[in-house]
Amino acid sequence: MITDQLVFAVTGAILVFLGLFSMFYSRNLMKTIISFQIIVFGANLALFSSGLGQTSNLMANTLVLFSIVVGGSVEAVGLALIVLVHKAYGTLDPWEIRRLKH
Amino acid sequence: MAGEVALLLCAALLVTVIAAIFSKSISVTIIMLFYASIVLGIIFTIYQGIVIGLVHITTFAGAVSVMLMTVVLMTGEQKLDIGNRTFAAIIATVTALIVAASTYSLFSGAPTVSQTISPPPVSILSFIWMFRQWDLLILIVIFAASMIGVVNLLSKEAKE
Repeated sequence: MITDQLVFAVTGAILVFLGLFSMFYSRNLMKTIISFQIIVFGANLALFSSGLGQTSNLMANTLVLFSIVVGGSVEAVGLALIVLVHKAYGTLDPWEIRRLKH
Repeated sequence: MAGEVALLLCAALLVTVIAAIFSKSISVTIIMLFYASIVLGIIFTIYQGIVIGLVHITTFAGAVSVMLMTVVLMTGEQKLDIGNRTFAAIIATVTALIVAASTYSLFSGAPTVSQTISPPPVSILSFIWMFRQWDLLILIVIFAASMIGVVNLLSKEAKE
């Protein structure tokens, strides 16, 4: 039987897979941060779906809130690092950065 | 049977995320991600997670989208080179399978929580303040640490 909980869990898993795929597929640090955000979306949706259908979903809501704050903080630090990398190397391509470093 | 609303919202979420991933322009990617954040916030809000829905929209559709646009303005529109698609698909599949298998093995032995010992439902706006005070403190510390890190990184850049 297909329930809302199952639909959200499957969508969360697909989002995590898409984020991982995009992280390995792209050659741009901005796109890597965006892929990380998509993975966080998937994790949030899967965590939220785990609390559906129960009397109280306080634990799931708290975990999602934790995940939102940690995800936002990590992205802020990552974007600051991207600005520094761009100032230093003039590109956001990780392969090009590795070549310029040597 | 799953509700049509859930299916529709999940379809909208997947479409916006796929458009964000495969877009050639980073600006379009950010706009699609903005829409995805709003759709996810609506899902949380509809299914009785009003607080986290609002926090999600404020954080990701508000703050993070503005930060992404600011970084694009500072660094310019970079050319989006594409890597090896097959290699990425294989690596992502293997990683997802490992994560799924480890998650299953972690939680398969966990006892199922009985409905009778669940805490009683509380009003929506009091959940974290009533039950999880330490979590709120930890969240504030994490957020403050990341902000200090960002300020340090950017002030170092200004000095140089």
